[in-house]
Amino acid sequence: MNASAISIPHDHDGHSAGHDDGHGHHGPVLQYQPGLPLSRGKLIMWLFLSTEIMFFAALLGSYVVLRFGAPVWPKPHHVHLSEPIGAFNTFVLICSSVTIVLALEFARANKSSIAKFWILLTLLLGILFLGVKGYEYQAKFAHGIFPQSPRSRIYEKPDLYYGSAVRARLGEPAIIDKLKELDDTPADQLSAEQIAARGRLQQIRKMVASPEQQAFDLAVVADQVMPLPTEGPGGSHDGGHGGHATGLNDIFPWLRLPAVIPGGNMWASTYFLLTGFHAVHVLVGLIVFTILMFYKLGPKQAGKIENAGLYWHFVDLVWIFLFPLLYLF
Amino acid sequence: MSDHDVPSAHAHGPITRVGEIRDHDDHEHGGHGGHGDHDSHASHGGIGKYLLVFVALCGLTTMSFLTYSPYWPWRDQPHVGWAFMMAVSCTKALLVVLFFMHVFWEANWKYVLTIPAAMMAIFLALMLVPDVGMRNRMVSQERALHMARGSDVRLMEQAAEAKVLTEPEAH
Repeated sequence: MNASAISIPHDHDGHSAGHDDGHGHHGPVLQYQPGLPLSRGKLIMWLFLSTEIMFFAALLGSYVVLRFGAPVWPKPHHVHLSEPIGAFNTFVLICSSVTIVLALEFARANKSSIAKFWILLTLLLGILFLGVKGYEYQAKFAHGIFPQSPRSRIYEKPDLYYGSAVRARLGEPAIIDKLKELDDTPADQLSAEQIAARGRLQQIRKMVASPEQQAFDLAVVADQVMPLPTEGPGGSHDGGHGGHATGLNDIFPWLRLPAVIPGGNMWASTYFLLTGFHAVHVLVGLIVFTILMFYKLGPKQAGKIENAGLYWHFVDLVWIFLFPLLYLF
Repeated sequence: MSDHDVPSAHAHGPITRVGEIRDHDDHEHGGHGGHGDHDSHASHGGIGKYLLVFVALCGLTTMSFLTYSPYWPWRDQPHVGWAFMMAVSCTKALLVVLFFMHVFWEANWKYVLTIPAAMMAIFLALMLVPDVGMRNRMVSQERALHMARGSDVRLMEQAAEAKVLTEPEAH
């Protein structure tokens, strides 16, 4: 396997062209390299990667164009993205890129068990990346951010449609029962935060049902249900929340009221598409590494490790662009 | 596997090209042959070089993370941060491609595979600009009415500030 394309014709010369009739007459000619100076596996991997460049370029390009063409796009903290977590995941992928390179180096040096150790470490780092990604997805789902309704509870603006959606949710039989139960709960069984939240919930229930509802009231409702965090890098973590840092949806998780994130739906579609496809690529890489673990990783398998590494570096490459575009822009 | 052709490769005119490729081949797989005379392997990669690239990548990640920190001076001009982050990302991508993916040491086929794909990538994004990027320049009044706007964010921020609700029990 380690014989790259150049040496294949040489073996070929020796065996099929024959020693006697081919040597004097054809010999030097046959030494011409008929293909590219790389092994076939690597060539195919590079061809595949060039299609992958276009695949992710299409996704990233669409994201950028959609984002900058949108009248409003959520800030990362509006959609509960955590920049430090994203940076941590970037670091994990960079580390895994180094470990796979080291695995290749040690396999070439015929240090099979060390190479296997690095492959295993790459595998673990990839799993860690997916774990962190899953945790992040969970945080989105917990806030009702899904790529699509009916699961998605994100509304674009606090308008009449939003008001009627909140009213509809509050009118569901199961919620009516829960609200009644909450209203009847004695104050000593609730925390101070829950008591305050119960008071606010009672007021917004009146607000959404009120016939003399003002447009601003719905903004108040939306802010109570799920405030747009003003958390910024400046460290103003709970400034400007009007006294409440968490929304009613956080305090009463069963409530699941519709929430408002201006531009949030398009954001969710692009975010889940981009990170989802990237995560699928990571998953495929993990399968490849698992398969590699069954080989004796000497120089004979260096080509396999190299190809797996090329793929893995590409996955890292995509994340290098995804991280700033999604988390920091 | 290499000894017997190299002299003939240098003896004949056209075959020197093969010799070049062979050299490259030995660069590639210099580690396993055990030829003492090839020190090219040290220049290609080498663990020290990989670790250097790794440190550079970590430093660059920290740099792009700097735009998030309170010490970033151009906080009110997001375009500066965006341009900076893209420059950092491209540098990181270049480092990964050149050194981790060994493209720095590859023959010229690398251009055939990467440049058309990269051009395709750029043009694809550019082609999207008129119909997708500028989709909101001309919209019907009804659509404009239901579209989220920056004013909606400000409205919700005002609602957060306004303290419309009374909080009787929250001491």
